Amino acid sequence: MCRMNRKTLLLSSTILALAATSVAAQERHAFFGQTHQHTSWSLDAYIIGNTVTGPEEAYQYSMGQPIKHPAGYDVQIKTPLDFQGVTDHSEYVGVVRLANDPTSSISKLPVAAKLKVTKDNGPIKIFQWMAGSIASGKPISELLDPKLTGSVWSENTAIAEKYNKPGQFTTFCSYEWTSMPNNQNMHRNVFFKDCAKLPEAPFTAIESDHPEDLWTWMDGQRKAGNDVLAISHNANLSNGIMFPTDVDSKGNPLDAAWAQQRMTNEPLTEIKQVKGVSETHPDLSPNDEFANYEIMNYLIGLDNSTSKLHGSYTREAYQNGLAMQATRGYNPYKFGVVGAGDSHNTATAYSQSNFFGAHGLTDATPAARLAGKVESGMNILQTGTSGLTVVWAEENTRESIFAAMQRKEVYGTSGVRIQARMFGGWEYDKGLLADADWVKTAYAGGVPMGGDLPAAEGKVPSFVVAAVKDPADGNLDRIQIIKGWTKHGQIFEKVFDVAWSGDRQPDPVSGKLPPVGSTVDITKATYTNDIGSVELKAVWADPDFDPGLHAFYYARVLQIPTPRWSTYDAVKLGILPPSNAPATVQERAWTTPIWYTPTPAAIARGERGLTVDDLTKGGSTALTDDQLKQLVVGKTFNVRNTVTGENLQVLFGENGQRIVTQLNDGPPKTEDLLQVMHTRISGSTAAYEIRDGHIVTTIEGTPFELTVYTSGDKYIAARSNEFGYANYEVQAVMQ
Amino acid sequence: MKLFPIAPEPAAKQDDVDDVVKTKWQNVLREPLLHFLVVGSLLFGGYHFLNPGEEEGVDTRKIVLTKDDVRQLAISWLAQGRSAPTPEQIMGLVDQKVTQEILFREAVALGLDRDDEVVKRRLAQKMDFLAADVAALQEPTTEQLNTWFTVNSERFALPAHASFRHLYFSPDKHGKAAREAAAAALATVGGRPPENVAAVGDTFMFQNHYRDATPEQMAKEFGPAFSEALFQLTPGKWEGPIRSGYGWHLVWIDAMDLGRIPAFTEVIPSVKAGWIEDQYREIKRIALDEMRSRYVVTVPEINASDLRDLQVSAGSSAQFEVPPQ
Repeated sequence: MCRMNRKTLLLSSTILALAATSVAAQERHAFFGQTHQHTSWSLDAYIIGNTVTGPEEAYQYSMGQPIKHPAGYDVQIKTPLDFQGVTDHSEYVGVVRLANDPTSSISKLPVAAKLKVTKDNGPIKIFQWMAGSIASGKPISELLDPKLTGSVWSENTAIAEKYNKPGQFTTFCSYEWTSMPNNQNMHRNVFFKDCAKLPEAPFTAIESDHPEDLWTWMDGQRKAGNDVLAISHNANLSNGIMFPTDVDSKGNPLDAAWAQQRMTNEPLTEIKQVKGVSETHPDLSPNDEFANYEIMNYLIGLDNSTSKLHGSYTREAYQNGLAMQATRGYNPYKFGVVGAGDSHNTATAYSQSNFFGAHGLTDATPAARLAGKVESGMNILQTGTSGLTVVWAEENTRESIFAAMQRKEVYGTSGVRIQARMFGGWEYDKGLLADADWVKTAYAGGVPMGGDLPAAEGKVPSFVVAAVKDPADGNLDRIQIIKGWTKHGQIFEKVFDVAWSGDRQPDPVSGKLPPVGSTVDITKATYTNDIGSVELKAVWADPDFDPGLHAFYYARVLQIPTPRWSTYDAVKLGILPPSNAPATVQERAWTTPIWYTPTPAAIARGERGLTVDDLTKGGSTALTDDQLKQLVVGKTFNVRNTVTGENLQVLFGENGQRIVTQLNDGPPKTEDLLQVMHTRISGSTAAYEIRDGHIVTTIEGTPFELTVYTSGDKYIAARSNEFGYANYEVQAVMQ
Repeated sequence: MKLFPIAPEPAAKQDDVDDVVKTKWQNVLREPLLHFLVVGSLLFGGYHFLNPGEEEGVDTRKIVLTKDDVRQLAISWLAQGRSAPTPEQIMGLVDQKVTQEILFREAVALGLDRDDEVVKRRLAQKMDFLAADVAALQEPTTEQLNTWFTVNSERFALPAHASFRHLYFSPDKHGKAAREAAAAALATVGGRPPENVAAVGDTFMFQNHYRDATPEQMAKEFGPAFSEALFQLTPGKWEGPIRSGYGWHLVWIDAMDLGRIPAFTEVIPSVKAGWIEDQYREIKRIALDEMRSRYVVTVPEINASDLRDLQVSAGSSAQFEVPPQ
């Protein structure tokens, strides 16, 4: 074979770098990376058996080199990454490893004796001592000596700098802030734009476990010229405190300044990682047939625990954010989404067929993973592959990737390398995608994911979505657009199928698209790409658009079914896949939304709705406990939801249970109940009690208050989670 | 490579002594084994002095592996989810085990044991790290590096580059007949230069024309199999059909550079790093050979039949109750 242009070829290192020399938006490429990685430097990782490999090996692994799993075998990534930030826990980072290393200076400190693993001082004891110190706010001062923490941090930085190769592989200076009040996960990964002006040591949860204090510290860093952002994670394990709607972590009422500070500092959250998906929960989205995907629900460290659903999922946070924008004028939840790992093994498993666990020796073998063990609340069988963060950036550099994260032109995948695009605008031509240059047109005529639709009058927004499969994984089933909106303090969602493979037709009655089918043989852990598509794309206009209502739209791309890691493991062991885990998965990508904000004129043209303020200004008063008891206990209410026009019959039993008996003149369907009353899927029954002037109904662990007002000869009720609106008219009370 | 962020800085300044002495001592100072032992006693000798261990009663110069030991090795092999080991693989494990045992005993002889489980577990590895630190002490001359580079230049090869165009045949359009469609198109475009065949094939999602692409980039873009096939092609004609993660392609290579070996001066820093890595391995090997010569090693006969009935109980490696956060 001939050799040509040697010198030229040497100089031009990559096509991507060449293309990236243009900063035009249409030249943005999808770069795949990892934003959440632990190594032996993390306290917990060391203790679960990852004692050898550090950040250096983490970068080597992501660049394609094989490294050692903590259990001693070689692991290698299938397709190397484009970027990564190692995020070891900042709390006591590296100290356990160093205390057990006789050559280190810390091993000579008296306190090191407490950190050495011996027969009488086992790993659990050490962990409890240190974790206890973080939780109780009683720091172990010897271990926080700036000389010590500073040198670990500067070594971390030196390694990031060593592996940063602009144009080929980008590393970040980053760490994890590990706040976990009462086992409720409030963790954030902190990413610095570059490593030039780093602080002497990171801000840790030992200093404060309040995110507000972290943000204030980050504001200070930014002022000092050190740009920084945070990515929250495992909202699903936060017990409802990740996305509050009323008070902050210190109990102060939320306000515009809080929202502003949050959005400035943490523009992103993880939608998927090894410890579950935080998009939504089947009980929150009963109409979404794909919501039941890699769900985990527990509190870290507690066996038999559950995390409250409300306040723990991104879709509901987006919806509540719209309602806050509409009623209070600020939205703290216009964040973007990424996928990540949180593997504690230095190496991370992305592919179902190349899965090797994520937690040291606890899940290092197929037998250990399928044994049905629950480790401190974590059911190993429910954990999964790492997600991937994908950024649409001009070039593979810190500056370009960080800018993409800040403008939220990013998305998350479940671990596969699906390329997903989404644009929203007012003038997109239906035939736009036929043009080879369509991306340019899409950028010119609208906004990409993470953006806001500009104001427009008398038009309907349309969205351009396009997805290409992972070249080393399954074909695509469909692209969906998930729309969320708010009206008079109530929140709504709808899932639209907008592009799909084959010649399937949606069911004329239900509107549902039939499933794509499956080629999976679970006894062999195989599948074929004989079904599904390589590429899907569509221009879609919202058929239900109401210009007066706040809304968001995001795309979800689904793959055809492929074997889950647990099925591959079962085949390795020669057994059937476990019956208590799905045998197949539909891997997927979730884009960051595009938001629509109505103009004041459009809002003024819409229905106004009745608020509690309107009622009290008009002389209405709220019923007292005694009045409430007399009015409701043992009676059935006929109530009209004035937003949806639906009628409900609610029986407030003598036994403290309230039951929705009828909806729209028929027995209620579970999915209807959710839309109107935020109730639970498992039934329309919930416990209630009357106290402090409210009927308090507890749903999925979260109390909701109903307050009843007199209004002339009528009763009107307001729910505490409907942002000041009074949406329920009592039509009749029956014995 | 620096493995311990807070490791004591070894006496690196000893190279600053004046040139005469340097020349005189150069050979001795560059003797890796000497470094290994000197640094070893510097680091650990003082500790040994302060912490005299118990007298050793057993024969530390004998390593005896029983059949049960070998079966234990095989069980840990199986516990990693692999199929039953072959006798050769077992020999490898045994060799590893013996090496680890030797390093461990040497370390104990230096007084590193104490009553510390983790230290015990990691001692053999620390001897390894020590070798790395010793290797990093060396300051090679340019001449040494150049000589070393001549022998090891393959390691620094620059990746191959290809500039190519391709015609795409999508299963979305042609279903299972995509390959035939590509083969049929090859008959019509064969012999025609790429400028004249633009309208053939289906619209591709990314680029139709790639310039100076490396195998790694193309594996990310098209999947690994396509990348491998691509760099086997001959420039100046249409070839295919070649399969990618997206379907079938006909490919025309404009130019192919199979990569080249750079000049020494282009890669001096990498050469130095490689030289140190090599020294590290060499020091380790010499030191180990020397130590091993002082041991008598007994290993039982290994038969495949001894290993067939091995079973691992589920989850046997998971002993911890720590919540990963």
